[in-house]
Amino acid sequence: MDVLHNLAFGFEHALTWQNLLFCAIGCTVGTLVGLLPGLGPLATISILLPLTYSIPTTGALIMLAGIYYGAQYGDSVSAITMKIPHASSIVACIDGYQMTLQGRTGLALFTAGVSSFIGGTVAIVVLSFFAPMLGEVAFLFGPADYCALMLVGFVCVSFVTTGSLLNGMAMCLIGVLLGQIGTDVTSGMQRFTLNLDFLVDGIGLVSIALGCFGIAEITKNLDNRDERTPFNGKINLIPTWPEFKRIIPSALRGSAIGSFLGILPGGGPVIAQFAAYAVDKKFSKYKDEIGSGAIEGVAGQAAADEAAARTSFIPLMSIGIPENAVMALMMAAFIIKGIQPGPNMIAGHPDLFWGLVASMWIGNCFLLILNVPMVRYWLSVFKIPYGVLFPSILFFCCVGTFSVNNNLSDIYTTATFGFIGYMFLRLDLDAAPLMLGFILGPMLEENFRRALLISRGSFAAFFLRPISGTLLALIGAFVVWQLAAFFLKARRGAPDPSLVPPAAQGAE
Amino acid sequence: MNDRTLVRGLFLVAISLAFGLQALRYPFGSFSHAGAGLFPSLVSGLLLLIGLATVARSRFEKAVPLEFHPKNIAIILASLCGFAVISAYVNMIAGIAFMVFFSSLAGTSYSIARCLKVTAGLIAVAFAFQKLLGFNLPLY
Repeated sequence: MDVLHNLAFGFEHALTWQNLLFCAIGCTVGTLVGLLPGLGPLATISILLPLTYSIPTTGALIMLAGIYYGAQYGDSVSAITMKIPHASSIVACIDGYQMTLQGRTGLALFTAGVSSFIGGTVAIVVLSFFAPMLGEVAFLFGPADYCALMLVGFVCVSFVTTGSLLNGMAMCLIGVLLGQIGTDVTSGMQRFTLNLDFLVDGIGLVSIALGCFGIAEITKNLDNRDERTPFNGKINLIPTWPEFKRIIPSALRGSAIGSFLGILPGGGPVIAQFAAYAVDKKFSKYKDEIGSGAIEGVAGQAAADEAAARTSFIPLMSIGIPENAVMALMMAAFIIKGIQPGPNMIAGHPDLFWGLVASMWIGNCFLLILNVPMVRYWLSVFKIPYGVLFPSILFFCCVGTFSVNNNLSDIYTTATFGFIGYMFLRLDLDAAPLMLGFILGPMLEENFRRALLISRGSFAAFFLRPISGTLLALIGAFVVWQLAAFFLKARRGAPDPSLVPPAAQGAE
Repeated sequence: MNDRTLVRGLFLVAISLAFGLQALRYPFGSFSHAGAGLFPSLVSGLLLLIGLATVARSRFEKAVPLEFHPKNIAIILASLCGFAVISAYVNMIAGIAFMVFFSSLAGTSYSIARCLKVTAGLIAVAFAFQKLLGFNLPLY
């Protein structure tokens, strides 16, 4: 009953006119961002982060959260109508677009909207019960356990985001190294500052985020020179009763899968939608139809996508460890507002925690209205030419960077990271793990040094504690599995003659 | 040489050396009282290993050419720097106009009328930020 009491307390805070407005703005911007290809929630939160400085704490966090989960709703619309996928709507392209080709666009959009609503609602229940419980567990964590947990996060995010453990880990480590720039808080020594005054306090998070996600993404889209054809088909949103009945079981299955996978390190909407789709394909009553435009192919993944987006807040708010790059940015937003996410957050700021949870359900209602009855109006967004869009995004990047310190010189730092981010893109290195490394790097170093101090310099502390030992064993098992898979693949595959060095060819 | 994996490996090695060699100049301390150089050296060392592994991997994989289009990134970066310089020495309205007109050169088509409309819209947004959100923008 405590949870119901706390939720009522949360609704008291979330239902103020001001917070309702911020929630509506967040959901609307999120839907817009979800619809527009080439501008994900990561880039948008980076752009809008500095704009939230002048907004009250609860309102700012409600708005940023709304952008994140709102984008999950919106991205399935572009995937279903035009087969334009974002990272978290790849699966919606399969059955969703098949339904569009069959002239059932309205049904697909209705299914995605309603399933997302169900997924979001289930996830909020999970969030309300599990976050406080996990917060209690977090008190058992010592510095060595935090180190191990962050390393698990690095490994999982590296693998899930980039598909390559090596590339992802490299980006995490670069992020950690960038986080070392500035003054060492323990010894007071300046590190990697090149004797430049503006680096003494370290590199600004906003400059890195806007450079690597805003500027680099714009340039990549300009390089691709893709022209989009707006959707002009008819939309009939009202399903028949038998069609509606098919949505519910699949959406509930997807909600459960998404809620669970959202909590795991490295989890989140991307992995959840694939898992839900796979489960539907195996267990659904209509499994034979999946892949050729089945309602279940849209419902399960949409619910899982939305549920995972909500439950990914659990590790951040209860343990203080973000499990993906968007959550790392959300963590930065909490810290900017003077709130340290972690086990003490729920007890220390109950108005913020329960207000945010309650606002998620209000946001869910906003998004249902925005994405089901009003979806046809959103489709006109695709008529905005990129020639109008990208100078506007550049402007927001500049204003965002400037407003952090009211310093125009920060724009040069953003431009530098824009170039570095573009190089990363061209080298096929995903910048998302870099953000996680950058934000967690100082925490990792602090806990690493503290753990060694407590154990008097013995690394055994990392392996002998039950929590850190288990987590490090998991990492070890994963690395061994990756190495074994690489060598097995190399042994099975016949060597490509073009890869054999000329000298070796001659020797043969 | 135009092999993306190889260039990626060399890029990672270069970053690890840039940080690692600098970190070696900071005090290490002992494990129980770690100095400022210990942690970055460990991280740089790990990155160096990954860079070398990537270079080695490039020998076993089919080479994928590295695509690099300098024109668009140069235009975008010049727009940003031009915006900062003009905003500092003239005002931000002129900076916005420069940014829109110059960055549009990277688009698929160029229209002065469209640039004028976008500039006007963005100036209106900048005024809204200044008056409504209290941003300290040097607009004029």
